[in-house]
Amino acid sequence: MENEQNSPIKEFAPQLERTSIQGYAWIIFLLAVIGWGVYAFIQQVTRGHDVTGMRDNVVWGVYIVNFIFFMGVSYAGALISGTLHLFHTAWRKPIIRMAEFITIISLLIGPGYILLCIGRLDKLYYLVLFGRIQSPITWDVIAISTDIFGCLIFLYLALLRDLSTLRDYENLQLPKWRKRVYKILALGYTGTPEQQMRLKRATDIMAAMVIAIAIIVYSVLAWIFSVTLQPGWHSTIFGPYFVIAAVFSGSAVLIIAMWLFRKVYHLEKYILKKHFVAVGVIMLVLAAFFGYFTFSDYLTKWYGSEKNDELLIQLLFKKFYWPFIISNYIGVLLPLIVVGIAKFRTITNITLTAVVVIIALWLNRYLIVVPTLESPYLPIQDSRPEWFDYGATWVEWSLTAAGIALFCLLFTLASKFIPVVQVSELQEEAKSEEVLV
Amino acid sequence: MILMKRAIKICLFLLVGGGAAFLPFPGQSQEKFDSSAKRESKMTLDYLCTSNDTVVLTANLSIKKENEVFVLENAAVVFFASAGSNIKTLGKVITNEEGIAVLTVPLINLPADKEGIITYTAKFNESEKYTAAEAFFAAKPAKIKLSFSIQDSLRYIKVDMSQKNSKSEEVAVGKETVLLYVPRLFSLLKIGEIALDENGTGSLEFPNDIIGDTLGNLNILARIEENERFGFVQGQHQINWGVPKQYYKAEVPSRELWTPIAPLWMIITLIIMLAGVWAHYVYAVYELIMIKLHHKKDKSSF
Amino acid sequence: MEEELNNHPKSSRRQFLKKGLVAGAGVAVGSSLVSAYFDSSASETGEKVKVLTTDGEIMEVDKGQLKLPRVSIEESHKGILGRKFVMVIDLGKCKNARKCVEACQKGHHLPKSQEFMKVYLLQDAEKTSPYWFPKPCFHCDNPLCVSVCPVGATYKRTDGIVLIDNQRCIGCKFCMTGCPYSTRVFAWKHYPEYDEDKEPYSPEASSPGKEGTVSKCDFCPDLIRVGKLPYCASACPMGVIYFGDVDEDTVTNGTETFQFSQLIRDRAGYRYLEVLGTRPCVYYLPPVDRQFPVDRGFNDLDESIKNRYKSTPYGEKHKL
Repeated sequence: MENEQNSPIKEFAPQLERTSIQGYAWIIFLLAVIGWGVYAFIQQVTRGHDVTGMRDNVVWGVYIVNFIFFMGVSYAGALISGTLHLFHTAWRKPIIRMAEFITIISLLIGPGYILLCIGRLDKLYYLVLFGRIQSPITWDVIAISTDIFGCLIFLYLALLRDLSTLRDYENLQLPKWRKRVYKILALGYTGTPEQQMRLKRATDIMAAMVIAIAIIVYSVLAWIFSVTLQPGWHSTIFGPYFVIAAVFSGSAVLIIAMWLFRKVYHLEKYILKKHFVAVGVIMLVLAAFFGYFTFSDYLTKWYGSEKNDELLIQLLFKKFYWPFIISNYIGVLLPLIVVGIAKFRTITNITLTAVVVIIALWLNRYLIVVPTLESPYLPIQDSRPEWFDYGATWVEWSLTAAGIALFCLLFTLASKFIPVVQVSELQEEAKSEEVLV
Repeated sequence: MILMKRAIKICLFLLVGGGAAFLPFPGQSQEKFDSSAKRESKMTLDYLCTSNDTVVLTANLSIKKENEVFVLENAAVVFFASAGSNIKTLGKVITNEEGIAVLTVPLINLPADKEGIITYTAKFNESEKYTAAEAFFAAKPAKIKLSFSIQDSLRYIKVDMSQKNSKSEEVAVGKETVLLYVPRLFSLLKIGEIALDENGTGSLEFPNDIIGDTLGNLNILARIEENERFGFVQGQHQINWGVPKQYYKAEVPSRELWTPIAPLWMIITLIIMLAGVWAHYVYAVYELIMIKLHHKKDKSSF
Repeated sequence: MEEELNNHPKSSRRQFLKKGLVAGAGVAVGSSLVSAYFDSSASETGEKVKVLTTDGEIMEVDKGQLKLPRVSIEESHKGILGRKFVMVIDLGKCKNARKCVEACQKGHHLPKSQEFMKVYLLQDAEKTSPYWFPKPCFHCDNPLCVSVCPVGATYKRTDGIVLIDNQRCIGCKFCMTGCPYSTRVFAWKHYPEYDEDKEPYSPEASSPGKEGTVSKCDFCPDLIRVGKLPYCASACPMGVIYFGDVDEDTVTNGTETFQFSQLIRDRAGYRYLEVLGTRPCVYYLPPVDRQFPVDRGFNDLDESIKNRYKSTPYGEKHKL
């Protein structure tokens, strides 16, 4: 078909067909980081959790922080692509695929961090076999598995048209097995009106579901903390607070992903400044909300005279001063300034802001988990420094790096499997433009 | 005079006993052990005279090893009752895993001296590893009787103490202090104290906040403790004057956050939410299947 | 004759008999005696447990000689019938002797770094007096730790005791964050002390411990079943810890026995952080009429333990 010559697939085919030297180097680097993480994990399994920095008071450390962080990042897809889909926003098209990938990949990596925190991995199936409904962790297990399943279905529905396009594009220089995979996964979708209608119905339903599930999952995660009596966690605002922070971090990761893929795959034609600005505006709005919730939470803790709240605030402002400033001041104000003021609104600036926001949000999760555990009702009276002063060890940092590397690796591999931009949508746009012309 | 006789008897006893330690025992010459390596054993004897004419002897046997004390298990302790040279063997008991040997002896035909005092002895013989040990207790048997009465809607407990004189008649014992107890899980709870008048009688208003079993039954013990003449004497009686004990007994396990069964509203909410969400998933998968089937239909219709 | 009955001269025999012991003398009387004593197979293993005898003596019993029954895990879910256990701790008598801590560690085969019973130096306000605060698990009637366990590894029994089944525990540590009193401890690695216990595991003994699981004070149900007080109550030289069945309204520390309601009423007993609503089963008697000044608690203390209290208000004031 002569259209194929001009089809957008042509542009994306090289990504799928070949990997450049830099690509291989990148993948090897990521594998090395992951390998080091595996080594750290083996150390932890053989020598016990003693190799981490966690002790009897700070029982949840960097692992749980990473868990919350990755779960939060998964909101990029869930809420952003879901909402944008339901509102039929035009500019969403190039970036939705990336958002959905972010969702699935972080949903797969996040729970992995819980596994690292569990003392007896060989008994993990007890969570299913003996699960107690009254426990927030059981709610979390149910919610996350529901979420993973739902997001997988949603992603698959969104990939279906591209899979069928790839199946149909005969010039694709790919090994036979890959073409076969496309064929099987495409489910015989040929774009007939009935199929289109079915697909649309399913996608609409799933988009709504994904938004609902995402909110529930993250609220459940927040409730794991807020239903305990720990001062600092026992806050009524945690549910909405976590949801807002999650979408906030998701939007920042989306911006970074957009920038990276635009650079590496030369997608300047498709991912335009307006996309960055649009997601940047989302980030700005969420930064405002996030700042508002954070301020509300800490103002309430600070103003009231409860001893343990005071202790926590003191700890935050003395021991954790810089993380607190970065996460709650810089992380909030920077997006507001950069995206709000037209002069600063450039692609590079917005991306740099997104990086700062990511770091700020990771620190925010750390400040939620660790300082509270360091200021319990009964004072920690122990002479061993690692018992009253949590410090993550090399094992925990290695596994954090490995998780990030795994995220990047899976994203890279996914982008090699399916074009990172929704090709079939672009094809339709091109067709409709042709018609017009 | 009597005192002198007693004192002489004890001194002789000690001399003989002490001297005997240095005499070679039959079979000891075969000992390969250096007797100074033997560990020192220690015996204590507790005595209790109950109101149903028995005496309970409790022997505690322990050994000292490098400034630490251990109880001695599986050791043979022999009990005697004696008065002067009249010695009667009461029995042999092996100590249990806590080093305790208990023997209950009926107060029949036990040798007593002129005042009616019986001397009880618990003895552990020297063995390969341990030195011998012995303990005494001497006391007159006595009896405590409890009785209960209600006067002017107030409840009273009355205690009578008596002993058998040489004519085997019960004679009152006066001017002692009797302590009242109720047995509890780990120990005895003291509920009152009665001072006996010269007729050996005393009474006390019964406290009305003592918890009994579920029917209100109480087992009351009246004891004299560490008395010079009588040692430990105990009388007991059951009475239904306790507050009935109420303890938690769930017929149907309650549904709380911490019970094995969850509150009903939680279960229902969870089922509704899960059903709602997964129903949508099933619908989406159904649509996907229909897409595939539609394609097959299309193909077959070509 | 009657006079003789009532007129006994007080003699030195009384003292003699009161101690009731003659040591070191074997009397060869009665050849019918055959001392068939033999050293039982329960010979000294070096493991000792301190037990308080009824006449107030503290004895160290060879562990092998004190056999405690261990019930199965299923049986341990049912409480001891008809009982509801409560503990009363008298803060006026505590001088941080730490015998309770050590006895508990020995009895449960714990390493020195794990403590089921912890002794804190608390000071409620700037001008109030510091006091030593022994804290076991409170076995709350509204236990948050039980509510949050996702697999049901920890449970509350009808006798009020909250136990942990470490065969079921997956080590998620949610219960540790759920407890506001920092009661639970985690086995961050395998401690050699766990291997000392050769008996089959029972939640009632909380022994042998397992790496990667949570454990805590268990009120020693295995000791209760044989009519003994928990290790801490027996070991305390000052009789600070009273234990008993609240339904029969009695607590004892081994030497003194009180009616629980009377003790709480007369000594103004209270529960720690009552406002949290966890309904603990451990009551405290405020340190009125103290027997010792606070600094007695630092006598003979290991340096590492003394350093614990350096950052307390008392420690800072006295530059520990």
